[in-house]
Amino acid sequence: MSRLLRSTPLRLALGLVLLFSVVSLLSLATSYVITQRSFEDTIREDLRQDMTGFRAAPSGAALAQLVEAEAAETDPNRLVLSYYAANRQHYGNAFIARDDEGYHIVSLGEDRAGLPGRYLALTARLYGGQLTIARSRAEIDALRGVFLNILALSLLPTVLIAVSGGLYFARRSARQVAVIGDDLDRLTTGTLSARIGDTPGWGEDLAQIARKIDQMARAQEASVETLRQVSSDIAHDLKTPIQRVALHLDDLAERHALDSEAQEKVAEARAELEDIVSVFHALLQIAQVEAGTPRSRFATVDLAQLCRTFHEVFEPSAAENGQSLTLDLPADADTIPVTGDRNLLGQAVANLIENAMRHTPSGTAITLGASNGPHPVLWVADTGPGIPEPERGLVLQRLYRLDRSRGTPGSGLGLSLVEVVASLHEARLELSDKAPGLRVSLRF
Amino acid sequence: MKLLVVEDDATTGSYIARGLREEGHTVDLVTDGRDGLVQATGGGYDVMVVDRMLPEVDGMTLVKTLRAAGNRTPVLFLTSLGSVDDRIDGLNAGGDDYLTKPFAFGELSARVSALARRPQAVEQETVLRAADLEMNLITRKVTRGGQEIDLLPREFSILEHLLRRKGRVQTRTMLLESVWDISFDPMTNVVETHISRLRAKVDKPFEPDLIQTVRGAGYRIDG
Repeated sequence: MSRLLRSTPLRLALGLVLLFSVVSLLSLATSYVITQRSFEDTIREDLRQDMTGFRAAPSGAALAQLVEAEAAETDPNRLVLSYYAANRQHYGNAFIARDDEGYHIVSLGEDRAGLPGRYLALTARLYGGQLTIARSRAEIDALRGVFLNILALSLLPTVLIAVSGGLYFARRSARQVAVIGDDLDRLTTGTLSARIGDTPGWGEDLAQIARKIDQMARAQEASVETLRQVSSDIAHDLKTPIQRVALHLDDLAERHALDSEAQEKVAEARAELEDIVSVFHALLQIAQVEAGTPRSRFATVDLAQLCRTFHEVFEPSAAENGQSLTLDLPADADTIPVTGDRNLLGQAVANLIENAMRHTPSGTAITLGASNGPHPVLWVADTGPGIPEPERGLVLQRLYRLDRSRGTPGSGLGLSLVEVVASLHEARLELSDKAPGLRVSLRF
Repeated sequence: MKLLVVEDDATTGSYIARGLREEGHTVDLVTDGRDGLVQATGGGYDVMVVDRMLPEVDGMTLVKTLRAAGNRTPVLFLTSLGSVDDRIDGLNAGGDDYLTKPFAFGELSARVSALARRPQAVEQETVLRAADLEMNLITRKVTRGGQEIDLLPREFSILEHLLRRKGRVQTRTMLLESVWDISFDPMTNVVETHISRLRAKVDKPFEPDLIQTVRGAGYRIDG
């Protein structure tokens, strides 16, 4: 819901509602003020005319009579009259005593008349007495209610429609954004054939983004295909001569009576050639996995079984190296299934074990293990010298070797392959300090 | 055996052909896919060695065509790529085995022999023998000269594999594939270590040595 609130269409709708409300409020308030003023002016004008009428009375007694007569006829809710004669005698239908002349706003609710609402009063001195005429302001006060009703009636539906419309479009665009997101996820994880495809009913902006993404994916797929073709061509072009050298060396060793020095040289050349081939193989394989090994080949792989197999394969070699290789599997889980490519995961495990064997001294304990859970972990740990913190990121770089490892065999590509295999499986590769030692984990 | 080699690189092709002839096979060598198809259709070969990348008709198409025509001659693919995908594609196309360049001749020769003598159906043998060595597959007991040898499960598997293919060379990669289902070659000499452990139990206390090392190729138990 909070994501929906932050979505563009809803924010747009809410912004418009706010703007619309402010503008309506301002214009309503202005017209309220103007109407109120004009009402008030009308009342003042009426009062002035009334007063003019009473001033026309020839004497105080006549005025008192006139006031009494008028008061008897009018509805005090609309108009009240109050005249205090010079002798303090009172006439009229209300008691309003003001010393000052001019307009006032008075409330009659509190005095004995008990009339509700407020009145606009005009007071004048006449024949030694004091005449106050007051007209009800009920109409003006009612105005506020009218305007509030107008406000409610015009704004509420607008706000409701805008918010629900905004929510609807926000949801729709959230769905469309999710479709685009899924497609991009599939593309980044190697399914280069993923397309968004037709987008009926989509807004033109998102539909255009979708078309552009599809266009990009097609270009990407084509260039990966080219890359694949190029890498297979390079592989072929380079491996043919390497193959010839290998065969020539075979030939030399098998058919010619070589003295021991020459035999040694041939053996050295073969070993060098094997190193070249292994680097070449590793590079080619990394390129192929990165270019996106089809996940359609993925199947269920049991990490526990994988560990058992590679423990069995490597245990004697580790022992011969003076190291120990032990297996650490959870006692409660016979199988630890993940979805993946058994061969690539196996190669990753083999590389991790070989790294541990190669870069730690004799007497080191190497442990191969896996743990179950929603995110299974496959790991290889050792009690060797570890990797200094600043270099931990660097070892993942292609062909990077720690200074102290320069003398040891290996291509410097082992961990790089593990990394690409991990990312193909959407697993996190973690290097951590075991103090002492290194622990490399693949967290699925 | 009568073998057909389809390989476009002249040096590699002639070297393979010469090596196989020296082992007593009759070898025909062609350098492109179309000739390969013509020769193969002529028939009569026990095993074919086919490069995957060939001019005219590529190796995959060649083998697919042959299989579609009902030709079941075992095929060993040679490839420059060697990724798992290619391997699977090759085997799906009708190839029987797969060898990545560069390879040693011994590996090729061992695999060709293995293809030619693929075990027909499952042999219901219960006891495997070589000289005075006996392996009972039911009781999982191994004896030599009547003396019982205590083997770990993996050592038992390796010995069983070699005994079942008595007289034939088994390379390191063939052992990795069949004993552990691992189709890549680790840098470490893991197979050598396993074999030396096995030898320590099976050969060291006895005479003569049964497990032979075939230089540049692999291991073999002679009957």
